Order: sequence, then structure tokens, then C-alpha cells
Amino acid sequence: MRSVWCLLGVLSLAAACAPQPARTKVTAPGTPGASAVPHALVVDFRDGTPAEVVAERARQWGLSLRLNSVEGVRSGIAIAEEVDDVDAALTRIRREADVEEAEPLVRMEALAFTPNDPEFPKQWNLRMLHMPEAWERSRGKGVVVAVIDTGIAYEDRGDFVQVPDLAGAHFAAGYDFVHDTEHPNDDNGHGTHVAGTIAQRTNNGVGVAGVAFEARLMPLKVLDRAGIGNSADIADAIRWAVDHGAKVLNLSLGGPGYSAVMERAVAYARTKGAVVVCAAGNAGTGQVSYPAAYAGAVAVGAVGPDGQLAPYSSWGEALDLIAPGGNTRLGPGNGILQATIDRTDFRKPVLAEYQGTSMATPHVAGVAALLFAAGARTPDEVEKALFQGAASEAGAWTPRAGHGRLDALGALEALGKAGLPVDWAPLIWSAALLALLLLSLRVKVRPGFLNVLLNPATLLPLLLSTVGLWFLKLLWQRFVGHPPAAAEVLSLPIPDWERILFGRGRLASPLMYSALLPGIAALVALRWRALRPVVAGLSLGFAGFLLYAAWAKAPGIAYLPFTFLARPWLVLNGVLAALLCRSMLRREAGR
Amino acid sequence: MKVRGTVEFRELEMGVWVLVGEDGRTYQIAGGRSSLLKEGQRVEIDGEVDEAAMGVAMVGPILRVRRYRVL
Repeated sequence: MRSVWCLLGVLSLAAACAPQPARTKVTAPGTPGASAVPHALVVDFRDGTPAEVVAERARQWGLSLRLNSVEGVRSGIAIAEEVDDVDAALTRIRREADVEEAEPLVRMEALAFTPNDPEFPKQWNLRMLHMPEAWERSRGKGVVVAVIDTGIAYEDRGDFVQVPDLAGAHFAAGYDFVHDTEHPNDDNGHGTHVAGTIAQRTNNGVGVAGVAFEARLMPLKVLDRAGIGNSADIADAIRWAVDHGAKVLNLSLGGPGYSAVMERAVAYARTKGAVVVCAAGNAGTGQVSYPAAYAGAVAVGAVGPDGQLAPYSSWGEALDLIAPGGNTRLGPGNGILQATIDRTDFRKPVLAEYQGTSMATPHVAGVAALLFAAGARTPDEVEKALFQGAASEAGAWTPRAGHGRLDALGALEALGKAGLPVDWAPLIWSAALLALLLLSLRVKVRPGFLNVLLNPATLLPLLLSTVGLWFLKLLWQRFVGHPPAAAEVLSLPIPDWERILFGRGRLASPLMYSALLPGIAALVALRWRALRPVVAGLSLGFAGFLLYAAWAKAPGIAYLPFTFLARPWLVLNGVLAALLCRSMLRREAGR
Repeated sequence: MKVRGTVEFRELEMGVWVLVGEDGRTYQIAGGRSSLLKEGQRVEIDGEVDEAAMGVAMVGPILRVRRYRVL
């Protein structure tokens, strides 16, 4: 019986290792975008059915049957049109022995929305995000996106004008923190350009399109005519935005100076359920600027039409995503084109092509709005979908691409797939590892698989170190409200605790992602033998977690000099933790 | 503080004038007249780095110009 459980454990490990099914892009019949062609059917004959037989059958059935293509000779696929009663014909055809399958002919249409804006063909940036396909699923309806910038050319008032391609766009009331008025008009052009990327009036036959064109723009002016402002105004605007219903905050601005006030404002926005999206900076160095570098902000770098990191884009440890920001070194047409006001005369609307991480940021903010409109409830869910849906060459986080290149369709698909916010794989790996460890023990000192696994003293630390008490946060959200920090922490696996407690960005600490904690626990257990089942569970959990992390190309490990050392480090510590667990199990049994 | 360097225009965001300093840092120039803002001009700027300032250019510290002289 024991070996059966061991076998099951090994099998579950194999299942966890199995490659994920490729993301399917084919539209199946019965889904929107596929429609039956009237009076037409398709017959799939057995492979190698001669053309004469097909012709003979056609005569028998009274159909004008023809092979579908040159491939039809080999595949045996033929179609018939002008069939009076498709259902009756199909019933009859399906009875034949040389027919494999017969069904109504279905027309497939790519699910895509192509807006009629005349300059849309120049918006390579929106095609890079797969916007036409994504717009079939969400357009950001009703989600409030705050544009914390130089203002927006959103109204005709005094010298200020509304940009024609924003006429009919949706706005929420905003504020001008520079002049302390309730009319945050744009006297620079930057904020209007950024707002256009988020929610330019789309399919209106004018100008260009925007990512989330049914979202509501909240103009917040914090930068003066020169595009410069101070951290106090920006921090105020962040708080103002979330207190007035914004779910997404776009900050296409930054600087090298750290501000505790602004960091707290970002954290506040996050606890209020808003996603804060910030530009990584244009210094072209390995240091992301503030506020993008604060924990809780999504830091966005820029790529050109070639998908490569733009030469001006900053990158580094805090980078989360890359998105189209343009690269005008590649020539005209390679920047980001939006409607805005002339930079030398704010009374004059223009279509302008700019480049910068400021231009990349609103793409991410727009997709975040699409995700909220598509049903995402928390910033965590939005971020997870953004990161999982990103196009990644490395398949893992890297300092120059973050989690990958923004993809609106990918993000919406990832949101649809998100089930419980928990990754079971480390637990499965631990269970399989337990089976292997038990098999490596002599029969006399080998405890039963289930006896070990179902012992509460072992199971609790095992759960805590592999999946965390993930249900705690969910229950809290459902019955109490916003969970306290302690519930947030306990909801995560132990190796990830440090990342919440100290907010060290996206890299894991090499001390938490190591066999250090199980090692210390084992030393304690040398003195107090009763702790052995607990230490066994803890070290087993760490072993499964670390080895799975290595296999899944887990997050980079901070402080290690080279990123390629991360995986050997994880494997080494995973094996150490497994050996600790083995010794705990054996001594327990040998007592 | 005084910084020596070369004035350059960068086609980033709305366009930005920077001082590529001889101290190895790149500053965003804030203020200064058109006689300062000339591509390739070597200058010495007397000014202050505004630590609390942030902006759309994000190329480096923002240097508020008090005085300058062309070298």
C-alpha cells in the first residue's frame, strides 16, 4: 500500500512537470465569431478515399460535392453548397462507412474590432498590444483612470481648447494642484498626449484611437508649463484620485529623489484598491526612477516598434513591464502618435509623435482599465494578469524586460484563466518529494506516506511553506473587509513573507529562498525532539517550494552577483532542505 | 553649486535641454535663456539641484539655473 502512495506521489510530480497546453487561438464552432454558412456542409472522407468514390457518393446523395482544395485529395475533405436540407443530408451521409465526419460548414472570423479612425493604421503600438482582438472583450467601460500630469486639454475655457479627438470622451471631475483650481487644463501638451493613449475618442472617424476608450479620464494637474512639479503636489494628487474613485493612476513622470511622503501615498492608493502605473524613466540606466521604483507601483519601460528596449529607457531591479514608448531613432513613424496641443502654443490642437517611458506607461494604465472592466477586483488580480499575459522571450522576469512586453489580449486571457489565487505546484512537488525521500529510507525506519502527510504537526508547516494560508485573505475580504497586513503575510508561502514585510520589489531574498529557516528549526529540534514532525513539514515544504521555483524559473534572487546563479542556488538549497526533511523523518521513525 | 559641461537637446517626451556634466551626470536644465540653450555649447552653470522636483523628462536631476557663463 505504501509503495502505491509513493507511486502516486511520483506520478503527481510528473504531472506537475508536464508542459502547459499551448494557448489556443483557434475559434471553435459555437463561439462568437464562428457562424454556420447557410445551405452548406463539409464531409471528411477516410484518408485516401479516391476521387471517383467521392464523385460516386455525390451522385448517390444528390449533392454537388467537391474536394475542398488540392489538399482534399489526401485529407478527404469535401464541401457541398446549395444543400436544401442540411440536417437530413448530414444524417444520411454520417451512415456511410467511408465517411469519418460530416457537419455544417462554419465560417470563421477573426474576433477583432478595427476602428475607423483615419490615423489608426499608423498606431503600430496598438497592434503590438493586440488591441483589435482585446477590444472584442473589454473597452474599459466606466473605469476611472487618473492622469496625474500636466493636465488634459478637455474643455474650451478662456485660452484653453478641447482637443477635437477628445470630444465625446468620458471625463471625471479633476483638480489643478499647481494653480489650485478645479480646471486642470493642459498648458504643456504632455498630459493630453498621455490621456489620448489611454482613452482617445475611438471609432469616431477622427484622428487616432486609444487603449481603453470607454474608460473615464480624471485630469489632475501637478506639473507646470515646463513639465516640472514637486513631490508634495504629486502625493496629494495620488490621494485625491483614489478618494474620488480612480481605480487606475497613470504617473508618466518621475525623478531621482526618494520621497517618503510619495511612497506612503502610493501605498495608500494600493490599499484603496487602485493600480499605480509609473514611468521607469528616460535616463537609459539600470536605475528605475521614483515613483516607479516604490513597492506597490507598476514600473513601465519603453520599447520601439522592433520590440527592443528603447535606448533611452531605464531598467533594473524595480522594472515590471515593457510597453511601446517609441524609438524615433528608427525614423519617422516610430514614435507614439496621439492628439494633443502644440508644445509651443497650447491653443493649437495637433497630432504629435513623441517617444519616452511616459508614452509606454499609459498603455499599461489602459490595459489595467480593461482588466477592471472585465471583472478584476483587486490591484493584485490586475497585476497578476498583466504580468502573466505579457509576451516574454525569457519566460521569466529579467531586469531589462520585467515580466515581459505588455499584451492586452494576453492579459485579458490570463484574467479569464485565473482561478483561486494560489499556485498548488509547490505543494504537489513536496508531496512527490516526500514519496521519493521515503523510498530512499530503509523499510524499518520508513514511516507511511499518509501518516507523515496527514499528521497536523507536519501538514500545517508544510502548507505554510508551500502555498500559505491562502484562504485567510479571501475569507477576510468576503466577511470583514480589507485584510490587515498580518493576514496578507500569512496568505503567502513563508519564503515570500520577506517580500511583503520589507517591500523589496520583485526580487526574492536569498536568505528566505534558502534552507536557512529549516536549518535553524532543525537545530532547535535537536534539543526538543517533539518538534521533529514540525521541522519535517517545514523542510519538506521549503524543498518543494525551492525546487519548483528553480524549475519554473522563479523570480530573480536579490544580492546575488549574477542572475544565472539564482537557479543553482535554489537547487542547492532545495536539496539541503530535502536532506533535512529526510533526517527528521528517519529519526522520528527510529525512536 | 557650479557644473561644467555641454548643453544638448534630447528629443524625449516634449523635448528636453540637458547639461551633460563633466562630473559624469546628466542634468535637466530648468530655467536659463535662449543664449544658454544652444546645442553643443560648453558652459558653466551656477545653480541648485531641486531634490523635490519631478517631471516628464526623467533624464536626471533637475538643475535650476541661477547664473551661467559660456566657456
